Amino acid sequence: MTRLAKIYLVAVLVFLYLPILVMMAMAFNRSALYEMPFTFDLVWFKALMENERLLQASWNSVWIAAVNAVIATALGTLAAYAFARYEFRLKGLLQLLLFPPITIPWLIIGISMLIFFFWVGIGRGLHAILLGHVALSLPYVIVVVGARLRDVSVQLEEAAATLGATPQQTFRRVTLPILAPGVIAAALFAFAVSFDQFVISYFLAAPGTSTLPVEIFTAIRKGFTPEINAISTIIILVSMSLMLLVARNYRFGGER
Amino acid sequence: MNKQSRQAWTIFGLTAPAYFWLTITVLLPLTAMLYFSFLTATPIGGKEASFTLKHYIGFFEKHIYRYNAWRSIQLGLFVTSICLMLAYPAALGLAKVIKGRWREAIFLLIILPFWSNALVRTFSWTMVLREPFDILYTYPAIVIGLVHAYLPYAILTIYVSLQSIDDSLIEASRSLGATRWQAFYRIMLPLSMPGVLAGIFLIFVPVIGSFMEPRILGGKQAIMLGPIIESQFTALNNWPLGAALSFIMLAIVLIILGISTPLIKPYLEKSS
Amino acid sequence: MSRFVLTRRSTLAAMGSAAALGLMGRQSRAAGEIKVLNWQGYGTDEKWALEMFEKQTGIKVVHDYFNSEQEMLTKLRTSPGAYDVVLINNIYVMDAANEGLIQPIDTAKVANFADLAPSMRDSDRFVKEGKHYAVAWVWGLTSFAYNTEKVSERPDSMMALWDSKFAGKVGMRDDALEAIQIAALATGQDMNNPADMGKVKEALLALKPQIATFWSSEDEWNKHIAAGDYDIAVYWSGSAARSKKAMNLPVEFVVPKEGAIGWFDGLTVAAGAPNPDGALAFINFMVDPTFYVPWDTNVGAPASANGKANAALPEDAMNRTVLGDPEVVKRVQWMAPLSDEQKQANQELWDEVKTSFVQ
Repeated sequence: MTRLAKIYLVAVLVFLYLPILVMMAMAFNRSALYEMPFTFDLVWFKALMENERLLQASWNSVWIAAVNAVIATALGTLAAYAFARYEFRLKGLLQLLLFPPITIPWLIIGISMLIFFFWVGIGRGLHAILLGHVALSLPYVIVVVGARLRDVSVQLEEAAATLGATPQQTFRRVTLPILAPGVIAAALFAFAVSFDQFVISYFLAAPGTSTLPVEIFTAIRKGFTPEINAISTIIILVSMSLMLLVARNYRFGGER
Repeated sequence: MNKQSRQAWTIFGLTAPAYFWLTITVLLPLTAMLYFSFLTATPIGGKEASFTLKHYIGFFEKHIYRYNAWRSIQLGLFVTSICLMLAYPAALGLAKVIKGRWREAIFLLIILPFWSNALVRTFSWTMVLREPFDILYTYPAIVIGLVHAYLPYAILTIYVSLQSIDDSLIEASRSLGATRWQAFYRIMLPLSMPGVLAGIFLIFVPVIGSFMEPRILGGKQAIMLGPIIESQFTALNNWPLGAALSFIMLAIVLIILGISTPLIKPYLEKSS
Repeated sequence: MSRFVLTRRSTLAAMGSAAALGLMGRQSRAAGEIKVLNWQGYGTDEKWALEMFEKQTGIKVVHDYFNSEQEMLTKLRTSPGAYDVVLINNIYVMDAANEGLIQPIDTAKVANFADLAPSMRDSDRFVKEGKHYAVAWVWGLTSFAYNTEKVSERPDSMMALWDSKFAGKVGMRDDALEAIQIAALATGQDMNNPADMGKVKEALLALKPQIATFWSSEDEWNKHIAAGDYDIAVYWSGSAARSKKAMNLPVEFVVPKEGAIGWFDGLTVAAGAPNPDGALAFINFMVDPTFYVPWDTNVGAPASANGKANAALPEDAMNRTVLGDPEVVKRVQWMAPLSDEQKQANQELWDEVKTSFVQ
């Protein structure tokens, strides 16, 4: 049985990784038209270094994701704390309101943001993209931190209170340190959600500035060289390393 | 201030920032879009716009919109069911059969691609599907691309709910004479339904609205409701029609999710 | 030459002028940049040209691109003050002008203005109340090109796209207007106002077995021809020149007996442009033979609206032989502006055709 399971899982992994590996391999192939035979060359990485547009877009993606992670984690942690530690009437409604960003197709959310931001004068641009990304990340942060909060013993907090700590002190010195792995995981989650986000960025990108996924989409539609493979390879390696960081901090598949 | 109102203020202070953000970025925009969908024309550049139902009526009257809505739903159903069928054995094997270090390693490997850029992965498929498989620009190509993108979601959610099933339940049933198949069918399957349902939510919704993968992988087959909505904004200047079609798509999504939840409910109840 | 003596006076003078230059420098750095909105790879972003321009004027050129005319209009509408120079197809110029998206051209500042062909330069698509809103830049034709290695006999009719020997090997752009115009030409109608839209639709539906896939950019077109996906495909004259010359592909552009779609593009200055003088300098450079001749000769381009620039081309350039041939020009139907209702109707028709392709 184990044999069968292993074989099936390996097959699934092959399916998941095959195109990625092919794409990465082509980043190192000299031919501009993806022709064989394979000749190893770093020419596309060098060309990438001179491609200001792509580099600027990558940089935009990175800092938007970072700022997004900070904001979403901060806002989401507070809200998650409220859900985990208090009971109140509107709780059910508020939890329900977390669903729209994930249950509504991004196409619709992106378009509605475009319309609304234009109407009220927020316009398009990196700031608009940031607004959108935080909204998308919030549900994930709240869920991840909330799960961690459930694990944290309330008794520890109560003990701190009986010892004379104010709620703020308890939060800062007892809850937060224990929460830390969950918060870090949520932050990395938020970073990944933003970095990967295409649809919202596509509608809200301003002329002249955009994020990496939007540039890749434009390149795919308009014409591209293996520089796209080069930058894609770099992205995959970077995001996968981030993910490994998360895994080390916050055990998945967790044996309890 | 008494304890009650102090607590109320605390709760408000904790949740307000996040929900204020959500209001401005999601709830108000959706309302704005609803408003737009009833206008005759995009109200920019000094154009006069008045109230009309014609976009909504147009959806029901015009074949292209009905048919392509159906195409999108079809795509959603295909991709979701294929994902579930492929994911369930994988999740099962991972949760119950494979143990130890292997389990963690394989699990990590499965969800790792999920964290790489989705567009990049779609792009990778253009390389593989052209040669040697030569099915680029076909409907199967779109399905493959989407299944590839969303499979890890399904594996993740099903795995999580399978994993929480106590092994002793299975052992007990076996010792009472149940076959492996019965143990699976009557205990595991129902108890894993929350995971399956979560998977359906996470896959069906984005797929129905997708326009990027169809455009990149589908060639002539790309025409579906998603791309049609997108083109109202990029190829035409008809934001009201695009908004109306978006809300109709949203309604479709909610209806389908609404229908499938009661179907799965009995299983959900059994599990609790 | 007098020796430079470091006196207190000259030092102060030097410092003063350095400061003044510094201030000016900062101003001219702001004045030293323009933002251009255009199709990608359509002349204004040629690296060598931008270097030439920067050397001449000190102005740095930054680009943004659009993938469709609607996208260009949406960008103009939602980002005022973001662009200086915008390329607009003639049929959209008046709409843009009426909406206040572009400003009138101060033609005195465009040195080459007089050399432009009057039919385009003063066309009522560009002129409103005596003011020019665009500078005629290039013109070209849309028809089809074929792979000379795969197709032995040169097709001379638009109906070649429907020829069953090309089944599954035909390429088209996913564009409602272009598709309808091609079909109108093929059915012998006025493409701007087809008398019988039913026939147009029929023709388009009949393309179902013909089309391999849609292309959306020059690069995609080239890749499909190189991969053998297309034997014959709808294409633009300037792009065909580029594919042949710069990409070395065995293609030949054909103006069939039914005629071709004629279009001309204008360079405009956006309303609220941060650097209108820089914009005009750039536009002048674009119609100048010093830019145009190398552009067409080395890279490939549509025909220039500047008669002098066109005449300066080598004898065998396609823009002289084909587009310069009066017999050819007689067969050309020029694109006319459309109302929003027409555009919507076209889009719906095209969506219906595309839907039938997958049924």
